Amino acid sequence: MAVVGPGIITANVDNDAGGILTYSQAGATFGYSLLWTLLPVTVALIVVQEMVARMGVVTGKGLADLIREEYGLRMTFLVMALLLVADLGNTISEFAGLASGMSVVGASRYIVVPLGALLVWVMVVQGTYQSVEKIFLVACLFYVAYPISCFLAHPHWSDALKGTFIPHMRFNSSYLFMLIGLVGTTIAPWMQFYLQSAVVEKGIKVKDYRLSRWDVIVGCIMTDVVAFFIIAACAATIYVAGHGKIQTPGDAALALRPLAGRAASYLFAFGLCNASLFSACILPLATAYYVCEGLGVESGVNKRLHEAPAFYALYTSLIAIGALVVLFLNEDRQIPIILLSQVINGILLPFVLIFMLRLINREDLMGDYRNNRTFNIIAWVTCVVMIALTLVLVASTFFPAQTHM
Amino acid sequence: MIYFTELERLPFYDVKGEYLGRLEDLCVDPSQNAQRVALYLVKSPRKTVLRIPHDQVQSISMLAAQTTVPAASLVVHAPDEGLLRVKKDVLDQQIIDVNHRKVVRVNDVDFDIQPVNGHAELRIVGADVGLAAGLRRLLQGTIAKHRIRSLTSPIPSKTIPWEFVNLIEPDPARRVKLRISYDRLSELHPADIADILESLSRDEQKALVEGLDDETAAEVISEIPTEMQAALLESMPSEKAADIVEEMSPDEAADVLQEMPPEASAEVLADMETEEATEVRSLLGFEERTAGALMTTEFIVVGEEATLEGAIAALRTFEGKLESVHMIYLIGAGGALTGVVPLAQILLADSSTHLKELSMDPLISVHAHADQKSVVALFHKYNLVALPVVDEKSHLLGVVTADDVLEVVVNRS
Repeated sequence: MAVVGPGIITANVDNDAGGILTYSQAGATFGYSLLWTLLPVTVALIVVQEMVARMGVVTGKGLADLIREEYGLRMTFLVMALLLVADLGNTISEFAGLASGMSVVGASRYIVVPLGALLVWVMVVQGTYQSVEKIFLVACLFYVAYPISCFLAHPHWSDALKGTFIPHMRFNSSYLFMLIGLVGTTIAPWMQFYLQSAVVEKGIKVKDYRLSRWDVIVGCIMTDVVAFFIIAACAATIYVAGHGKIQTPGDAALALRPLAGRAASYLFAFGLCNASLFSACILPLATAYYVCEGLGVESGVNKRLHEAPAFYALYTSLIAIGALVVLFLNEDRQIPIILLSQVINGILLPFVLIFMLRLINREDLMGDYRNNRTFNIIAWVTCVVMIALTLVLVASTFFPAQTHM
Repeated sequence: MIYFTELERLPFYDVKGEYLGRLEDLCVDPSQNAQRVALYLVKSPRKTVLRIPHDQVQSISMLAAQTTVPAASLVVHAPDEGLLRVKKDVLDQQIIDVNHRKVVRVNDVDFDIQPVNGHAELRIVGADVGLAAGLRRLLQGTIAKHRIRSLTSPIPSKTIPWEFVNLIEPDPARRVKLRISYDRLSELHPADIADILESLSRDEQKALVEGLDDETAAEVISEIPTEMQAALLESMPSEKAADIVEEMSPDEAADVLQEMPPEASAEVLADMETEEATEVRSLLGFEERTAGALMTTEFIVVGEEATLEGAIAALRTFEGKLESVHMIYLIGAGGALTGVVPLAQILLADSSTHLKELSMDPLISVHAHADQKSVVALFHKYNLVALPVVDEKSHLLGVVTADDVLEVVVNRS
């Protein structure tokens, strides 16, 4: 247990409300034909996450710390400010996901969202890193709801496997945009900061790094296995039945009910609520972590309230604002905020990836743990592809008419 | 007062008014003067970095600086590890604020301009860590300097005087060259230094501990979590680790050695003085979470026939930490524990009194293999400050003190 946690947790949070929505749409609109993208996406995720975990272990510093020391206050401030806005948008979509998941069982958002916000807040403020991490690891296990839900939906397994292992390309714009959306939701800027800080706070030693790397790899694989089941479940039901208009992540759970039964629908909704709550906890936490790190203020779950006031103030206000927006703004007025955060994420990703690649190749920081030549080629290619796809995704949010979804 | 944010990129002119370039960085030479700026590094339009010694600067202000010599007499700067560079080594780096006992990040550096023998000198006043300094950094170069001053002046500044700034330099060779010492830091309470240590990365922790004397280092290390202790000692050369472990109390030493991988702890034990190593080894034999693992082997023991004078003699020759002595233990002819005398009793008694008469009744002790839970229960029930630990034959092996029990309780809650 000495090294397990950061990698698995970070990767699983990737399957948050926004991720589940994208996977559901992919399955419902294009059946099994987009499953193959999960393989390269997993590789890309592993490549990127492994690098930050390695930086955390070797330098003992967070990514925001390193960026501050290397690129100065102004650049750090800019990155932090943008991330703050992006993560606020993400937090809103997590609470919206919670509300939408619980609506499947008929619970009112006015009860669910405040309760969820309170639960998340108390857990982190009262907990230590060790206790919080255990709760997070349990939350990771609940993702098993998706595989079960998928089995209940009786997918066509041979088609699903064919869709996974045989790449398949369609050259119409809606398919391409869906594809980019799938890839784009996978690698978000905040994850890199969170993972590195978590590795540092856990105090993983350099000699345990080999084990820590498995934590990252297993986490990334778990994440995309879950994604596979979400896509397959929606493909087997909503796509086959041909009525696949999914606008909120809860829509998919509702659509499953007549097609795969009540149990599958509830499990799907349960998975969504778990994922939303889990991410609603981690995202504000990650944001508070790196903003404080970068600006040189005390941070960390292990610190008490009076030791790290700015840290807890940030954490609290992100949750409060996120919950309030979901409670009091109409859904159509939330959408611009969420889109804005997607755009900012997309703009930031190139910066973060390039900073990472430059930092990890510095001899004075990384010593013998720099990227070797081969890995550097893989990493640069991955990052360039990711950057290109993300920028297209950003552009697409400005021209939504072309996406035909 | 002038800030580094105002000095960076300051235009420099030579004695004839010819443009030299813009200020790149400031260097301090700690071997000569810890506060005076010794060299000005100026980047010329041709991208070479010129070095201007402090006594060749005629004047310096927020607007420009002028040298006392012509451009032709200036030389190109060669990197020198013995110089402290303000921008490279201080700005945006973490430092230790000895006064407030914490680690902070530097937003700006404050200077004073002083006229000396007809030229101008810059002296570092302190490291600026406040909000105003952060704001200056963000605005630097976007609007006029005096506008930035008037905008940020209402915000109270937070400057750590330079003498209270401790730099953290992971490279030991450079630490020597820059004359970084942790003298001031080591005057703090070990628990405060431990808090500082915990907020640093491992290389930095190592740097700091290596800069402390062994005794202080041992006290500091005893205050951080055991896993962190182990990781830190493991990363040091085993001789250095052994020196520090020797200074730790035997039970703390045993705890940390148990946490380290067997090869590493064997190496440390091999490098320790025989006496200390034997003591620690005897503790390593006990299973975790037993009285034996909790106890220390540093205690005062005298024969049961001894008088009060004998006890005082034993106290005088005791080599362990006196503040942790609360009791004097009595043993019979066969080596079995026969009595426990509180120190306060000794203060009040006659010098000829036999210690046995002062012994507490009943005699409470615990077996070395007893679970730590039962140790806690005994402390709680009998309101103990120390509890003797014995083997099957009632031989005294060690003592569990209240602070060890407190640690068990705190870690469990």
